[in-house]
Amino acid sequence: MHNGVDKIGSSVDIAGVAHVFRRGDMVTHAIEHVDLTIAAGEFVAIVGPSGCGKSTLLRIVAGLLRNSAGNVKVAGRDVTGPQTEIGIVFQSPVLLDWRNVLDNVLVQLELRGLDPAKYRDEALRLLGKVGLGDFTDRMPRELSGGMRQRCAIVRGLIHDPPLLLMDEPFGALDALTREQMRIDLEKLWLDRRHTTLFVTHGISEAVALADRVIVMTPRPGKIDRIIDIDLPRPRNKEIIASAKFSEYCEEITECFMRRGVIQY
Amino acid sequence: MTALLNWTKRRAGPLIVFAILLLLWEFGVKLFGIKEYLLPPPSKVWVEFLKRAPAVMDAAYVTSRQLLAGYLLSIVVSVPLALVVARSRFVEQSIYPVVVFLQIIPKIAIAPLFIIWLGFGFAPKVIIVFLLCFFPIVVASVAGFKSVDPEIADFARTTGASEWKLFRTIQLPQALPDIFTGLKVGAALSATAAIVAEFVAADRGLGYLLLQYNGQFETAMVFAIIIILSVIGLAVYYAVELIERLAIPWHVSQRPAGVTGA
Ligand SMILES: Nc1ncnc2c1ncn2[C@@H]1O[C@H](COP(=O)(O)OP(=O)(O)OP(=O)(O)O)[C@@H](O)[C@H]1O
Ligand SMILES: [Mg+2]
Repeated sequence: MHNGVDKIGSSVDIAGVAHVFRRGDMVTHAIEHVDLTIAAGEFVAIVGPSGCGKSTLLRIVAGLLRNSAGNVKVAGRDVTGPQTEIGIVFQSPVLLDWRNVLDNVLVQLELRGLDPAKYRDEALRLLGKVGLGDFTDRMPRELSGGMRQRCAIVRGLIHDPPLLLMDEPFGALDALTREQMRIDLEKLWLDRRHTTLFVTHGISEAVALADRVIVMTPRPGKIDRIIDIDLPRPRNKEIIASAKFSEYCEEITECFMRRGVIQY
Repeated sequence: MTALLNWTKRRAGPLIVFAILLLLWEFGVKLFGIKEYLLPPPSKVWVEFLKRAPAVMDAAYVTSRQLLAGYLLSIVVSVPLALVVARSRFVEQSIYPVVVFLQIIPKIAIAPLFIIWLGFGFAPKVIIVFLLCFFPIVVASVAGFKSVDPEIADFARTTGASEWKLFRTIQLPQALPDIFTGLKVGAALSATAAIVAEFVAADRGLGYLLLQYNGQFETAMVFAIIIILSVIGLAVYYAVELIERLAIPWHVSQRPAGVTGA
């Protein structure tokens, strides 16, 4: 079904994008002058201090938030409203309380007017992969926070979107699950090659997953550095343990130290 | 069968308390020699009721009809209105405040007006019940229709689904728990509303009978009617609760036992 050859991810062009939140007299410059071009099928991770506008940027790319300035294109088309050729995973797992785990995944297809029955097997397979195989008929309230988030991740992927936007998707997971999810996400990406924009707080997570890591400055968020991660894939145990891997992490940490985000 | 057993078990506590109260009442009245026209014992209430059962049941039918018609009308008007309020900024800012303001007017005080306008029949009573039940249902339903998590709404927008589909799949199910809360408040009010409507002006119905018996110092019959009214109110309330259980089992079962298990 997915062999990465016949399918191609969407490119993303972000040019001079800024965003200002206004509420009465309160003005928040969330992001300023962001330029970023993401090639089709590329995996880009964004790291930055809390409140620097990562979620804001992601929502702008998704067309859920109108940018105050600049221009965004997805697959060559201007973003003027909510994008539908995407999969999105938010920071918090937002599930429908009245649907069980499987139906929470399948709602993605129902809303898209696709036949959920056709995706049932794939949904069950993915749920099994993220460790929810025995919980497919449970209700969200019967799940832990991490389990809910895993369900939301599968919901974001099930329709095989050409662009995947993930906002700290592993934030609510324990370290072990997080590691496993990272490995599985890379596998899936190698398989499908959907363009991925992945926001994270985890420096090593970003290095382990991405082709390029975008380091953002504190608010107002700007791109501080773009670091190409030249490591072979899949990024297995040896690569994660390699000196080169640590060097990349070091480099990012130093960016944050320079900005006073990390202080010793 | 097990369901019935469970039900009895869950309600055993209140039922026992209720039985004890009845016994205290029965023997208290006799023990202290309280006059029957002040406080008749339950046994007397029962005996008197049996004697006039046909007349009382006729009146109960009249009152129930008005109550149900008014209550259903309030649902049919309130829920769609709430949806419009929740979806339209304009309506929320222009019409909704007026609805809230009108709510301040004591509806019982304007009840006599309806008699002038609509006469003594069925219609004015239905309208009074409607007016009393209407507001809690609107308020709760507006809250319900607005309770969709913004991130769920965002996710839903990325699917490109039509408004109608989003309403059916997300907004309505999300709103149902709040709507049912409003419906239950309305149900609880409906019996009061029906009787007040008949107090104002009626030539039949339980409210009318109650005033008649009261005037004749037939206190036992007054009690009988109060009890029947309560039973009607409870029946409506539990009917709504039963529908709620069927409609939103996912929500009902997550509430702590006792909140609904009265
Ligand atoms: N709806 C909003 N109204 C006003 N200000 C907002 C709004 N959303 C975000 N902001 C502000 O914009 C800035 C960026 O927010 P954003 O959520 O994009 O940060 P973030 O980088 O995702 O942070 P975190 O890592 O903690 O999730 C913050 O200072 C926040 O206060
Ligand atoms: Mg964020």
